Amino acid sequence: MTESRGLAILLVAPALALVIALFLYPLLFSVASAFSDPATGELSLINFQKAYELYSIDIAYTLFIVVAATALTALAAIAIAGYLTMGETPWLLTGLAWLYRWPLFIPFIVAAQCMRTFLAKNGLMNNSFVAMGVLDPAQTVSFLDWRGVLITFVWKQTPFVALLLAGAMASLDRATIEAARNLGASRLRALIEVVLPQVGPTLMVGSILSFVTMLSVLSVPVMVAGSQPTMLTVDMAFRINAYGDYNVANALGVISYLMTAVTAWIYLRRSVREQRDGS
Amino acid sequence: MRTRLILAAAAAGLLSVPLPASAQTLTVITAGDQNMVDYVRDYLGPQFEKTHPGVKVVSVGTGPGDAGSQKIYEKLAAQKAANANAWDVDVMVIHQKMAGQMVNEQMLLAYKDKVPTGKMVTSQTASNSLGANVDGYVIPMFQSQTAIAYNPDLVKDVPNSYSELVEWVKKNPKKFGYNGIKGGMSGVAFVTGWVYAFGGNSDKLMKGPYDAATKAAWDKLLADLKSFNQNVVITPGNAGTLDMLNRGEIAMGPVWVDMFYTWMADGKLPPNMKLKLVAPGMPGQPMYYAIPAKAANAKLAEEFIALATSPEVQADGIVKKFNWYPGIDAKYLEGKLDKASWDKLFADIKPDDLSSKGKPFPIAPYFNDILESYEKKVAN
Repeated sequence: MTESRGLAILLVAPALALVIALFLYPLLFSVASAFSDPATGELSLINFQKAYELYSIDIAYTLFIVVAATALTALAAIAIAGYLTMGETPWLLTGLAWLYRWPLFIPFIVAAQCMRTFLAKNGLMNNSFVAMGVLDPAQTVSFLDWRGVLITFVWKQTPFVALLLAGAMASLDRATIEAARNLGASRLRALIEVVLPQVGPTLMVGSILSFVTMLSVLSVPVMVAGSQPTMLTVDMAFRINAYGDYNVANALGVISYLMTAVTAWIYLRRSVREQRDGS
Repeated sequence: MRTRLILAAAAAGLLSVPLPASAQTLTVITAGDQNMVDYVRDYLGPQFEKTHPGVKVVSVGTGPGDAGSQKIYEKLAAQKAANANAWDVDVMVIHQKMAGQMVNEQMLLAYKDKVPTGKMVTSQTASNSLGANVDGYVIPMFQSQTAIAYNPDLVKDVPNSYSELVEWVKKNPKKFGYNGIKGGMSGVAFVTGWVYAFGGNSDKLMKGPYDAATKAAWDKLLADLKSFNQNVVITPGNAGTLDMLNRGEIAMGPVWVDMFYTWMADGKLPPNMKLKLVAPGMPGQPMYYAIPAKAANAKLAEEFIALATSPEVQADGIVKKFNWYPGIDAKYLEGKLDKASWDKLFADIKPDDLSSKGKPFPIAPYFNDILESYEKKVAN
């Protein structure tokens, strides 16, 4: 018994060491730096005060962008996964199944670069509308602001959530769906009232992972939108590059941790409950 | 056994590089982008080798930005600390901030008056580097400058000054764009120019001494800038401004002059675009040629810099090939440059404009004050 326990510890040791060295230590270090006065090194909230003075709008903006993008991503993913599960037109199904995963393989920075020319006032999208006669050149507007960031995030994250969701939906007992359909429920109603409740946990996991990913992206807000307001990642980079000020950058980091902590708490609570139910 | 041999060979190879070969080697170390390394290796080096038989010019790059200069500093500081008699760098190309620090730490050779081109240097930045007195120790390799680019088809009444620009923006909302201060230096330069224009006493910002109370007087100009921003487009970055100018989405915006001409030469900007250096002026920055205090080949290094700052090389290499402004006074270039290149670089911004309205960036503590005050009072 003790021998096997020793062996187990030995086996997890490398992984544990990696987590401690590359995650736990930097995390504690940055939290400590966020709470210390750069002049005296003493415990202080001065960095948070400065972060609030300079970046209060950016904090609210970041939260808004990420929450809205997560919600829209979830909606789009439900639509795609729902159609893949309940759709009845074979060629549409094949086409959609083939197409929707593409953005998964495109890095954020490439997506941002594409959006820069696609969403601009005289960009590809507006020019196409003008060529089709849908819009007049004077009516076009640029989406290279918060809307551009939102669109890029949703475009990039939807396939990821849809992939998880479609998998979960495919493994459902189809009898429940067919029973609902036989009783006269429309496909939309069957999706909302029968399918979705059963894949709720998967949707939530996918959304939380997207939320955390989007909160950490630097390239998209830098490249797609101007810097006023901007997301916290840009502010952190600027704090370090322009002033060499790691303390306030770390304070902004802690504020980001707090945002993710809420979702992490939901995620952990859910997985603990699942384990309890499963055992 | 075999591995050991390879390792030994590799070690020998590594060790042998810095040692001067029997023929003389001139080591030129460059902070900055790859194009600067290429400039020395492919353009300046061969010219120097032609006039100095038996000399080999070796060009080394340390990377862009102040970080590149920092690496050069660390290398030389280590040799200084070790009391080495001859340092293994002969010529270096460094940024403003580091030039000041190296002069203060007595790491540079005062060579300017020993080279014939030293007399041709007239810009302020040749003696004052972000507040540090570097007179005699450096000659600018080039001067890069920010200016307002505009599309003459859309802008008829071109503003001559910051105040006229404010009026123009009121009449033409959302037709002027700049990248704030987090998207690159052209926006930072625009904001710095704004503080120079409306803050009064801009000389003190450029030369010091630093007074922490100065920024308290900026509230009004920052509030004005905030309302100015209501009618402008905040673009994503230096390239973002040029992109939007190219697509006709904005009619005016601050840009780096060398980027502007390079983009135009690549066909990424319409050829009719123009530049205007508005009064009282906008900042630019040089990179410097300097010689370490104990360079092994100081005499050769002086001759190399004399060539690099000669009117011929400044005209053909710096201006024509790379679209930078010359490091020496532009008037010495007249006649050395073919008319087309001269016209191109000085068509919109005349040499006189450049010497009267091309300003340096402020000294470091004021520079940080400007950025942080902007973040606090304009962006947030």
